[in-house]
Amino acid sequence: METTAPSFLTYFRRSPLLLFLVLYTVISGGPFLWVAMMSLRTTPEIFDAPYAFPLHPHWEKFVEAWTKSNYGTYFWNSVIVVVTSVVLITVLGAMVAHALARYRFRGSRIVRFAILSGLILPPQLMILSLFQILLDYGLYNTLTGLIVVYVAGHLAITVYILEGFFAQIPQDLFDAARMDGYSDFEIFWRITLPIGVPALFTTVTLNFIILWNEFLYAVVLLTDDDKRTLPLGIMHFMGSHQLDVGMLATGLMITIAPIILLYGFFSETMIKGMTAGAVR
Amino acid sequence: MAVVGIEKLTKRYEGGHEPAVREVSLTVADGEFMVLLGPSGCGKSSVLRMIAGLEPITSGTVSIDGQVVNNVPARDRDIAMVFQSYALYPHMTVYQNLAFGLRRRRVPAAEIERRVKSAAERLGLSAFLGRKPHALSGGQRQRVALGRAIVRDPKVFLFDEPLSNLDAALRVSTRNELIKQQNEIGITTIYVTHDQVEAMTMGHRICIMDKGEVIQVGRPLEVYGNPANTFVARFLGNPPMNLMKAELARTDGALRCRVAGTAIDLPIAFAAAGTGAILGIRPEDLYELPAPAGLGPIAEIAVRVIAVEPLGAETLLVLASADGAQEFIARVGRQTKLNPGDRSVIGLDIARIHLFDAETTKAIPNGSP
Repeated sequence: METTAPSFLTYFRRSPLLLFLVLYTVISGGPFLWVAMMSLRTTPEIFDAPYAFPLHPHWEKFVEAWTKSNYGTYFWNSVIVVVTSVVLITVLGAMVAHALARYRFRGSRIVRFAILSGLILPPQLMILSLFQILLDYGLYNTLTGLIVVYVAGHLAITVYILEGFFAQIPQDLFDAARMDGYSDFEIFWRITLPIGVPALFTTVTLNFIILWNEFLYAVVLLTDDDKRTLPLGIMHFMGSHQLDVGMLATGLMITIAPIILLYGFFSETMIKGMTAGAVR
Repeated sequence: MAVVGIEKLTKRYEGGHEPAVREVSLTVADGEFMVLLGPSGCGKSSVLRMIAGLEPITSGTVSIDGQVVNNVPARDRDIAMVFQSYALYPHMTVYQNLAFGLRRRRVPAAEIERRVKSAAERLGLSAFLGRKPHALSGGQRQRVALGRAIVRDPKVFLFDEPLSNLDAALRVSTRNELIKQQNEIGITTIYVTHDQVEAMTMGHRICIMDKGEVIQVGRPLEVYGNPANTFVARFLGNPPMNLMKAELARTDGALRCRVAGTAIDLPIAFAAAGTGAILGIRPEDLYELPAPAGLGPIAEIAVRVIAVEPLGAETLLVLASADGAQEFIARVGRQTKLNPGDRSVIGLDIARIHLFDAETTKAIPNGSP
């Protein structure tokens, strides 16, 4: 029977792409699924059959992880540090990007260079000096200290992304708003920010994911158990002599869940912000 | 209602060798529609932006109703501007776009609504108040941009080439709409364009600029009829004025001009000094012979037809003088029988001749009425 629907040949021609996508999904999604399954099984069960499906899911493991091993504290520490940092980074970054994209002022190129050069410095390079500075200012082993470091460290990439987007907003819009009677800050607030929402979503999501998973600065700059963030909490399950694989997987799921949710909600806006960016 | 005065206005951009605007002085009367006309890069937009307060002034002054406003920020000058790109806020509806400027000025909500609704009605936008700009056509966007200026009820309107993004048909209708609105509202208006048709049809007066300087200011037909130099002569009019090298000789109280191989006796009133000059004649002042009755003296020039361009209502003839040294265009009736390659004689209305100084390109005054 003749059909007008995509023929077998079409599928055949697309098969390499399809194969690649299937492979990619398996490689990237497989480990996640495996951890998700393990999070519902006990350690002895896992050792018995590592890849088995959780036929009798142990949901109580999540309660146990949350209550018994301080996970609640880690979780809220992470929320406080990451949310505060992301809010500060976004507001400050947007203001800097707006200024760099809109105003030609003496030294603007130097300021841009200074900020963007932060992109190329590896974090390991700064860890010693940051440790010393935080110690000097009494911010070592505090969430505030970590927030300051996160904000400073992520401004560069944020400004970089936002400036590219803001620079594409036509100058006429700003001139029109000036003629309409608005001050520079009001223009930033009422024109740049609303129009830049797709780009802001991009940086918020990006920064949130990176900071939520951040380990290096956290492990160096925080020492008290009740100040630890989630990535450090996971390390806690990995003792030097024994490894509680089941609980580790449960902890990982608690850590990953917010990111998956965030990405699920914002992925479309985020991709739009990264690719399109044109304002017409 | 306001008089806008600019005095020796100069703008020098950073890194620019020549000033973009050089000592421009101009007064726009209350309620007047003034058109700044010139080729791109002539500084007309810079002048407009300095009046608006969007561009710092290098030297000179801008005043509104006699008050120098150089140091008054754009938002306090009470001027509304329509941009070439319309500059509608993409994240706001038409209503919000129109109300944006009023909200900032703390106009009471009821008054905002009344003004926005009346402007929308005036411009035929009432049905689109809830739409965002991207859901509007080019003409509708243009009207929103105009509406945004109207609702503010400012002292001065500024237009920066507002019609250049519209297609030809829409441009004509929008042009008429703009003329009508300006007549009704009667607000002092400064309108920048590079389109001579817009300038001729819209302006009460036009101010022609070139290379940052004002060349000529006057009523449209006045400027068209008496261009101050060869630049204005060629810039206004389509096709532009024909310019031909001419030699002048003053003998026995007569001024004789040799051009395109023909000797023409000019009215003695031309205050020509030297012997070299440029003769200007508009295409519509050249005639196929016999010339229509009622014209003054006619000079006859032998020509060869290079091309015939029928435009429908009329026909343009591209002609070369018999010696081939000069090329010019004549605008004749559509019934012309001439074909490319033909040799013929064309009549030149002597009373309509313009003379320009060969060196300075400035018009040589003609004392005769």
